[in-house]
Amino acid sequence: MKKKQKRKKKSHVPVRMNILFFIVFLLFSVLILRLGIVQIVQGENYRKQVEQTDEISVSSAVPRGEIYDRNYEKIAYNTPRKAITYTPTINPQPKELLEVAKKLTELIDMGDDKEKVTTRELKDLWLLENNRGDEKVTEEEKRNLNDKEIYQLKLSRITEEDLKEVDLNLASIYWKLYRAPALTPSIVKNEGVTDEEYALVSEHLSDLPGVDITIDWEREKTYDKTFHLLGSVKNIPAEKANYYTSMGYKLNDRVGTSYLEEMLEQVLQGQKSVVKTVTDRSGNVVDTEILSEGKSGYDVVLTIDMELQAEVEKIIQEEILTMIEYPNTETFDSAFVVVMNPKTGEILTLAGKQYNREEKDFIDYSNGTFTYAFVPGSVVKGATVLMGYETGVISAGTVLRDEVMRFKGNVTISSVSTMGSITDLKALERSSNVYMAKIALAIAGGTYTPGGPLIIDTSQIDVMRKYFAQFGLGVETGIGFPNEATGIKGTVKATEPGSLLYYGFGQLDTYTPIQLAQYVSTIANGGYRMKPQLVKEIREPNTNSDELGPIVEEFKPVVLNRVDMKEEWIDRVKEGFWLVTHGSQGTARYYFANEPYDLAGKTGTAQTYDGKGRRTENLTFVGFAPYDDPEVAIAVVAPNAYFEGTRSRYSIANVISRRVLRTYFDLKEKRMKEDVEQSDTSTTEDEEINVTEED
Amino acid sequence: MENNKTKMERFDWTLAFILLLFFIISCIAISSGQTDSRYDTNFFAQQIFWYGIGAFIIAGALLFDPDQYKKLSWYLYGFGLLMLIFLYFAPESIARPRNGAKSWFNTPVGSLQPSEFMKTFLILAVSRLIVDHHQKYIRKTLKSDLFLLVKIGVTFLVPLIFIALQPDLGTGLVYIAIMLGMILVSGISWKIILPTFSIAAIIGGVLIFIMLYLPHLLQDFIGQHVGKHAFERIYSWLDPYSYPSDEGYHLISSLQAIGSGEIFGKGYMGKEVFIPERHTDFIFTVIAEEYGFIGASIVISLYFLLIYHLIKIALETKSPFNAYIIAGIISMTTFHVFENIGMTIQLLPITGIPLPFLSYGGSSLMGNMLAIGIVFSIKFYHKKYMFSSEEDE
Repeated sequence: MKKKQKRKKKSHVPVRMNILFFIVFLLFSVLILRLGIVQIVQGENYRKQVEQTDEISVSSAVPRGEIYDRNYEKIAYNTPRKAITYTPTINPQPKELLEVAKKLTELIDMGDDKEKVTTRELKDLWLLENNRGDEKVTEEEKRNLNDKEIYQLKLSRITEEDLKEVDLNLASIYWKLYRAPALTPSIVKNEGVTDEEYALVSEHLSDLPGVDITIDWEREKTYDKTFHLLGSVKNIPAEKANYYTSMGYKLNDRVGTSYLEEMLEQVLQGQKSVVKTVTDRSGNVVDTEILSEGKSGYDVVLTIDMELQAEVEKIIQEEILTMIEYPNTETFDSAFVVVMNPKTGEILTLAGKQYNREEKDFIDYSNGTFTYAFVPGSVVKGATVLMGYETGVISAGTVLRDEVMRFKGNVTISSVSTMGSITDLKALERSSNVYMAKIALAIAGGTYTPGGPLIIDTSQIDVMRKYFAQFGLGVETGIGFPNEATGIKGTVKATEPGSLLYYGFGQLDTYTPIQLAQYVSTIANGGYRMKPQLVKEIREPNTNSDELGPIVEEFKPVVLNRVDMKEEWIDRVKEGFWLVTHGSQGTARYYFANEPYDLAGKTGTAQTYDGKGRRTENLTFVGFAPYDDPEVAIAVVAPNAYFEGTRSRYSIANVISRRVLRTYFDLKEKRMKEDVEQSDTSTTEDEEINVTEED
Repeated sequence: MENNKTKMERFDWTLAFILLLFFIISCIAISSGQTDSRYDTNFFAQQIFWYGIGAFIIAGALLFDPDQYKKLSWYLYGFGLLMLIFLYFAPESIARPRNGAKSWFNTPVGSLQPSEFMKTFLILAVSRLIVDHHQKYIRKTLKSDLFLLVKIGVTFLVPLIFIALQPDLGTGLVYIAIMLGMILVSGISWKIILPTFSIAAIIGGVLIFIMLYLPHLLQDFIGQHVGKHAFERIYSWLDPYSYPSDEGYHLISSLQAIGSGEIFGKGYMGKEVFIPERHTDFIFTVIAEEYGFIGASIVISLYFLLIYHLIKIALETKSPFNAYIIAGIISMTTFHVFENIGMTIQLLPITGIPLPFLSYGGSSLMGNMLAIGIVFSIKFYHKKYMFSSEEDE
């Protein structure tokens, strides 16, 4: 039985085994055959592919465009500075980087960057320098944990003492090298590179693979402290890294990080030069070839008048210091000025300053001109009167009675003084609240009976806001800053209908200084709401440093809308504004009646609360000059100027306006004289100097 | 009791020498290959350690004779299966998925891949199954052969389900290869094998045809999402230059490395092409690039020599059980070698399975050592069997 069984098995096992062996033989033959094809037949081909190297295009930054003010004074530019760069290979090993870093640390001092090295970075470097820190973990731990966990454990076991061994200068250099993107020259040091360092590195370049010396650009400002809104240029901030890399930036590029530099990034940045780097498979750079030269960023000419801006900032600071000497001004610390050309919308000055009483120091608050909204007070009465004409509740010359209005439920509205029967012009000149409240009352369908109930259609507030919006009040002005505020719309409750009447004299909604400037410009130019513009021209980069490049784009005035009101009505409001500054009872007569530039304007005082909830008053002023043919419009705001009801004699908004306008016209005169001198070829230099001295 | 000299004689020195050669080649290749690695571990030293463990496994395997293995086979199968089931349900704290596959236990010794050991257990169990079957059905009929085929199929299918759930395509294919090899050797009639294999081959061929020429049909059938990855894999294999996916890139690099090695290679540490995971699944590219066609052929020949040696042992042994085990091990090793080398030279699509004895990796090496250990045991004890069987006769 057993024998039979065995014979049976013998009959199949060896045969089948041999068949299996034959199959194995066939499979292995296929392998050898295919290997022969790959290595012998196609071998040369593949060898060429390997030798044939990779081509990688690397872009490098070009100088950023320069920024000029409206008078073509250079206000932001680049200065060359010495820099030490590092260009890594494709797969740099940490040990290679450490080697380069160790050589560099003998040659250069990283200065402040040494302080920026983090503990984690020091620990990583310590591990690298100390044989991966193997003695920090036990064999057992090594078996039980995966690589990541072991590394974490090692990190946690590095002591303060260990870290003291790590040279900060070396660490700082190492991490700079480590973070450099492959094949892209990255800055190792560009701040305060001494001539000695520069020379030392240059002598040792052959020992320092990837390291190079070059000239880098540094952004500088002509006016360091003036016009904060020019913005700054820095390395790409971490939170925007994705955005910029998707736009083709390298992580070590510098970009505009705030305000105009950021807004104009696309224009200023320019086209990078693209260099094709040819590497072999090991990542060694074999050859480089310039694919495109790149192009410097465009130069930008702003509408800002830097000389005026600087003066205005000085005036604000001086006036704040004067103001706080007066009693009851504890809540006061800041003021804002917007100067623009009412016909074109060009912004000449955007200034704001805040005084820190404890530090006795000023900080720039110029962004407040478009981010800070406040209760404006009577400055908006021009819009109220125009709204009255448009809705037909008043017409030119309508006489209304300025009285103390008393409604049922303790709602009282009064003007500074009871003026009796007054016309629209007088109402503006003397700043009658009651006249304005009566316009609002009529629009809302109400009638006044002394002591009677206030019955009005409160939804009419939306109609009124639509009229105000035509002047830019309560809407975006179009200045273009991303965080522009539009102000807060006060609520008109059915239980407190009186607040609708307050809207008529600027005691409900809040507006920004730039909105006020747009509003007064709209009145000044006959009813066109102009887009406030900060950029005047974009120019080709200048090849010769003394001359500007040709204009690429010139910004034209942009009319956002034409108000509904007839021009003759606007002229009448302008007349009312002129009376404010020149009329016998004008509220700002004292400040402007004798000024040479024939200003028309409107004052404002608004009751409000400061940040701490104290009852205060805002002082405001809007105006334009000259009255006949306005070329400059101004809006000034001094929020929380004093405690409510303690009216100070010092009308800071009016004072600032007067000083700013005087400066504006003085500068204009000075420049005209200079132009005359320059155009007169016979003028000698001596005489020119004399002229300036006369100024 | 045998004396020492006999023990020395009975020990398979040839097989040990072949392993020693693999050990040397593995060390040389890993020491060069790990320079491309981005891990901290020194794989070279680790591999020496694993070979040391492997030596112990072989020594351990020698403690049992094939008869004992035969008795143990179903228990080992059951144990292996339990490990696979446990792995499937195990929390991630002890079985952390890597690259989306839950194939490893994290043990104090390192990570452990049960499916590597299960291969050997499976081979043992199926060998036992075939022997038992032939003892029961002395007179072979088509019906009994078909029953055997079904039994073998089921025995493979159960662990295969859990492998598929991990999911681990490479190991799954290895199991199928072992199954095919063992079916072939099990003595099942050609009348069953030929039609079955032919039908499988035809279905496979049709699938590939559809995939290449009518891809949308297949894709609609198996679903857009699942299909996409499989398709990309196939396309990046057939035309890596047009499908520069990760695998396509891997294949191009691999071909460039091997091809540029040409006949004589570039010498130790002379490699120029960067290939990720070079110390594990792509270890062959190091050998082929640095030692050329000659070196690569020697390595392939060494595998062939190993298999030749195994066949010789299988034919020498009088025990069918031993022969089936060796057939299983040969199938396993052959498939590993063919698939692993094949994928680096564009013969087969890229699959994550290691090159036996050369790739870095504890579980794989220990699994292979266990299998080879059993071969050592067969050789070590088989003379006794021969005598006893001769005495019987």
